[in-house]
Amino acid sequence: MSDTAGRLTQCLSAYFAGLSLEEIPRASMATVGEWDSMASVTLIAVVAEEFGIEVAPEDYERFVSYELILDYLETTRRVS
Amino acid sequence: MKLVDALKALRSTPEGRALPLHLVCGFTPLHLQTFLAAHLQLKEPTRKVVVSSGLFGDCVGNLERTLELDPLPEVAALVLEWSDFDARLGLRNVGGWRPSDLADITRTVEAQARRFASAITRVAERVPLRVSLPTLPLPPVSYFPGAYSGAFDLSLRAAILQLGAHAALASNVALINAQRLDYASPIGQRREVATELASGFPYTLAHASQLGKALAELVTPAAAKKGLITDLDDTLWRGLVGEVGAHGVTWDLDHKSHSHALYQQVLVSLADSGVLLAVASKNDALAAAQAFELREELAPLHGSLFPMEVSWGPKSQGVARILRAWNVGADSVVFVDDSPLELAEVQAAWPDITCVRFPKESDAEVYGLLERLRDLFGKTTLSAEDAVRRESLRQGAAFQQEIAAGGVDSEQFLAQLDADLTLTVGVDSNDRRALELINKTNQFNLNGRRFSEGDWLARLSDPQAFVVTIAYKDKFGPLGTIGVITGTLEQPGHGLTVDAWVLSCRAFSRRIEHACLKFMLEHFGAAQLALEFEVTPKNGPLQTFLRDLFGSQPIAPLLVRRSEFEKFCPPLYHRLKELSV
Repeated sequence: MSDTAGRLTQCLSAYFAGLSLEEIPRASMATVGEWDSMASVTLIAVVAEEFGIEVAPEDYERFVSYELILDYLETTRRVS
Repeated sequence: MKLVDALKALRSTPEGRALPLHLVCGFTPLHLQTFLAAHLQLKEPTRKVVVSSGLFGDCVGNLERTLELDPLPEVAALVLEWSDFDARLGLRNVGGWRPSDLADITRTVEAQARRFASAITRVAERVPLRVSLPTLPLPPVSYFPGAYSGAFDLSLRAAILQLGAHAALASNVALINAQRLDYASPIGQRREVATELASGFPYTLAHASQLGKALAELVTPAAAKKGLITDLDDTLWRGLVGEVGAHGVTWDLDHKSHSHALYQQVLVSLADSGVLLAVASKNDALAAAQAFELREELAPLHGSLFPMEVSWGPKSQGVARILRAWNVGADSVVFVDDSPLELAEVQAAWPDITCVRFPKESDAEVYGLLERLRDLFGKTTLSAEDAVRRESLRQGAAFQQEIAAGGVDSEQFLAQLDADLTLTVGVDSNDRRALELINKTNQFNLNGRRFSEGDWLARLSDPQAFVVTIAYKDKFGPLGTIGVITGTLEQPGHGLTVDAWVLSCRAFSRRIEHACLKFMLEHFGAAQLALEFEVTPKNGPLQTFLRDLFGSQPIAPLLVRRSEFEKFCPPLYHRLKELSV
């Protein structure tokens, strides 16, 4: 697991206390009942704080699954 | 605190009873709710903090609906922002910032402030309220250049300050100190425009954390310390009095020793608010005494210092004698000295004492010390007992000396005390003394139970509950209100359950505790009292009383039967006066 993936897993783990570390990489709005729009807003803040980034409003819609967030982070960090 | 750490803090599942808090605000509470819950959870690790919130966009409505919650929360936190007074002062509305709008905005804010004032008073009668006045900078509504203050923004601030002053005078309301929050969270780093527009949450994470922390401080404030022991040389004054004499020690601007005068000023203020002060100094006792006699500027302080332990012996021994005279626990005491060595010696002997160095070489650090002393000893209300505490300790010492001197028959001594005991059934909800006594008394304490303000308001409004306060005076002087008994009534004539009973340590050895039990049995016509007794690490005096009364080690649950009590109760000499509220 990459450093980015590991840190993202910790972010999701903090919010979704009921998910095991193995379940988190498969987590999404569709598979986790607790993952609603409020959860997304909180995850955006947690991830932004953890990675020291500012998430633009047009990217908020990508915070709906672990996979998409990871892809967003890896793309953003490559660009920056 | 980072948001991820706040979320982790909330994952704990303590088994104690829940601590329900209702967060009232007009914006989406989001991370403020998380941070407030997390800071509170860290302060109350044995209870599960549960923070609820109301509807987005209707702050005053949310506040008013707090009283409709069932059950009522233990405490509510009201977080106000400018947009709660007029939506045009927020960023999510564009109702107009034209110069012609300003007068109407001012009128709207003033009217809404009055509505909040009324709601705050009403809600706080039943639910303790913690309030944060607007913390965000005003948006650029006015046509004034930003460097200017104009009538518009000053009028808005005046309306808010007037609301704050009103709230501060209401019962069960506490407000965040804006100045303290300014230190922790600079005003320019508070607003998060992007999230305010995107999700309605107006704060940066850093500000939300600091605000949550400040509110948590008000919800569960640290217990105020009770006594301060100070050194003399290079602490209370500059110089060594044994070497330079009474007129050689200084505390003034001319001698660049004014920081000592500021320290003295705070000590006098603490004494007048009921804090016990004493001296522990390695010094020439005669020289020290002369300084207090000859330097009249010290007169206000001199009368407040008791006992004065001035000798060449170890300071820890002087501290031991002071603690005995005060009869308070070491964990309630602060020791101030300029010498790290002396601080270490006292700390080693008394690990629970808060040892603080007097930083004589830095005026700025002394100023910091003054602020810290206010934090350690601060209280939000002063009671009549605060004014008599010091004198009653002196009288208590005289009382104990008479007993210890022997030659006086103790029964005769008690009979000649000329003691008046006033027992008041019921408490005014504005009277903080009973709650304060329950929450700070350790030694004569039935079980160590503490009440939050919400618990206390619920107790006072429970028709099955009773609260009795005890006040005492004798020929040595008044002790003020020194005891509280509370619990629940069963059927008349059957019995009652006491779940909290405390008696100030200043009131020991006068058989007040016996008189309390006698009163309870007689006043309520009870055949028996069930005492919810529990052993705590500090309630030895309560255990000793029960053991002496009944001749055996008390074991919970404890039943005091009237017939049994009358058999064991020693003679009582108090004149009893009964009042009801």
